[in-house]
Amino acid sequence: MRRNSYSIFTALLLMAVLLSACAPAAARAAQVIVQTAPPVTVKETVPVQQTVVVTQVVAPTQPATLPAGSVQINGAGATFPQPIYAQWTYAYQYVDPSAAINYQGIGSGGGKKAIIDGTVDFAGSDSLVSDAEYTSGKDLQMYPALAGAVVVIYNVTGLAATDPAIILDGKTLVGIYNATVKNWNDPAILALNPALKDKLPAKPITVVHRADGSGTTEIFTKALASFSPDWKAGGAQSVEWPVDKAGNGMGGKGNPGVAAAVQNTPNSLGYVELDYAIPNKIAYTQMVNKAGATVSATAEALLSAMNDFADKFTDKLTNTIVDAPGAKSWPIAGYTYYVLHTTSMTDCVKAQKILQYINWTLTDATAAKQASALGYAVLPDAVRNQVLAKLAQVTCKGQPVPLK
Amino acid sequence: MQNTHFRRNTAPPWLKKLQHGFQHGDRLWQALMIAMGALVLGLILAIGFLLWQQSQTAQSQLGLSFFLPASSTSWDPVSGLFQAWPFIYGTLITSLVAIVVALPLSLGVAIFLAELCPSWLRSPLGLLVELLAAIPSVVYGLWGIFVFLPSVVAPLGEFLGSTLGQAPLLSALLGGVMSPSGSSRLAAGLILAIMITPTIASVTRDVLLAIPRSQREAALALGATQWETIWKILLPYGLSGILGAVILGLGRALGETMAVTMVIGNSIDNTASLLRPGYTMSSIIANEFAEAVNQLHSEALIEVALVLFVMTLLLNGAARWMVYRAARRTPTGGR
Repeated sequence: MRRNSYSIFTALLLMAVLLSACAPAAARAAQVIVQTAPPVTVKETVPVQQTVVVTQVVAPTQPATLPAGSVQINGAGATFPQPIYAQWTYAYQYVDPSAAINYQGIGSGGGKKAIIDGTVDFAGSDSLVSDAEYTSGKDLQMYPALAGAVVVIYNVTGLAATDPAIILDGKTLVGIYNATVKNWNDPAILALNPALKDKLPAKPITVVHRADGSGTTEIFTKALASFSPDWKAGGAQSVEWPVDKAGNGMGGKGNPGVAAAVQNTPNSLGYVELDYAIPNKIAYTQMVNKAGATVSATAEALLSAMNDFADKFTDKLTNTIVDAPGAKSWPIAGYTYYVLHTTSMTDCVKAQKILQYINWTLTDATAAKQASALGYAVLPDAVRNQVLAKLAQVTCKGQPVPLK
Repeated sequence: MQNTHFRRNTAPPWLKKLQHGFQHGDRLWQALMIAMGALVLGLILAIGFLLWQQSQTAQSQLGLSFFLPASSTSWDPVSGLFQAWPFIYGTLITSLVAIVVALPLSLGVAIFLAELCPSWLRSPLGLLVELLAAIPSVVYGLWGIFVFLPSVVAPLGEFLGSTLGQAPLLSALLGGVMSPSGSSRLAAGLILAIMITPTIASVTRDVLLAIPRSQREAALALGATQWETIWKILLPYGLSGILGAVILGLGRALGETMAVTMVIGNSIDNTASLLRPGYTMSSIIANEFAEAVNQLHSEALIEVALVLFVMTLLLNGAARWMVYRAARRTPTGGR
């Protein structure tokens, strides 16, 4: 009897393994980062690839002649653009089947560490590469990919979904995160929200922040620092939160953690990227920007913020776009960047594929539409041209790498 | 027994050597076992040494104030000030709450399984208790957030805060307003208690089952009731084993990361209250280490790991010493 049940169990296990190996790849692009193109064994293509590498330096061959899935490109970094990168890497397989790109969201800091250590081919980062990292990474360069908005989400008992969104301005937001504005019916909040005067409760605000270090925090704290000199904790991936010391702070792990903490805690408030607030249908505030106008976090508001600072790029092609002065601009916005090595890449086929992919994400209309649908803002022309010009300066083994 | 089936060994010389080695390989066997033991010891020493070495700069720069208790501490990655007392306190208090809650619970379960349970229920119930230990800690965290915290911890915390929290001695521990979502040190302590109960309960049940029947029969013969037998005879007899079970549970509670991170609220503050969100050493490492690009920040986190490592060793050592003392006092040495 026992031998029979063992063999039945082993047979079932084998069947399960075989079935899972034959199952088709997941259809929902938004949910899955597909790791390989339609199955072709890589082993067979190795000799072919080596031949192509030899000729690549002399005369670039057409990418379509490479076998499908033969160039494996790894990226890692910020979780903020992860949803759109997942869609893009899946869609790009149909544009160029020979490139198999996968991106893992391990955080901006992890991405920067990985590109310096050489474990990935490109990194995604919301936070800027520091001087020390430029020194240790030697030839790193950041390229803006998208802009995203950070919004303040809230959960107030007594406010229904039909009520208008709460309006906050920079000074009040700094007051909330400094624990000087303690209750929901504080005069500063009531002054900005006369329509909600009777509905805001006299309860203390539970302020949620990120427990892990994050580019989102960097964008948010830089905005706070710009709004008011009262914000002393600085603008960085990880700061010491005054609300923790005051006793009404809470930390959530990742954007989903903050969103969950706000949704589960009555009378709380937190900050997340816009593309976490929209699909989860969490209420987020409107903001009064530097020009005094009340704006909502929309693509137009982000575009306006980007255009306000379009000529203020540093030579490292980084830019802080918080507290934009335009009348329509969203005040808490930031770029997310690609981080690449510019001169030290040795695999020139891979380098070309990476640049072609980045070029596609920046210029292709379908890619732009997918990004907008998820709540990201694509670069305006003024910025895009600067990025493409900088990308054209990437070299591999001394030779410039073609973008097309 | 003598081997009466002698046969000439016609194997080739290399095979003869191999056979000789296997038949008389005690030395080899001993050497292998010693190597295994040394490997485990070496691993612990290597971990401790690595933690010590990787946090050298932080140790020299942050000094003793890193882990000494203070009324106002800071953990500021921007300005490079790191003090780990809130996390040390968080780990200690949540583990203490876990042990205080889990011990009577597990003892009760173990006594029921060993002494009072009808025999048809013993196996299934024992299996279910051990199954609790198999649940992944992330699942505990998830269940905590969606079920346990809103329905049990939040009302319990409010009740404790309004009653015991008003008493002068307990106001430090139970003062303050209960966190509205339930995320607090109390929540972490209670979830840890549920997680360590199966460990303590199953080991205690085995200890109780191993006590010879003669002890029970002698007690009953002398006129003790069943409860008196259990409480006055069996538990003291198995005390060293029970303490060993508690050590196992404590070890798990000290190091538990995922479930605690999800329910403790992740707030670095200087209050001592169980009702407020807190932080533990394992949570801060899990949350911040991946993104700590600043050299001093990551070294400070490694130093927190070193403190956790040393604390686990010290607490385990202290508990084992207690076991030794308890074993010496029981009549047969606790065996």
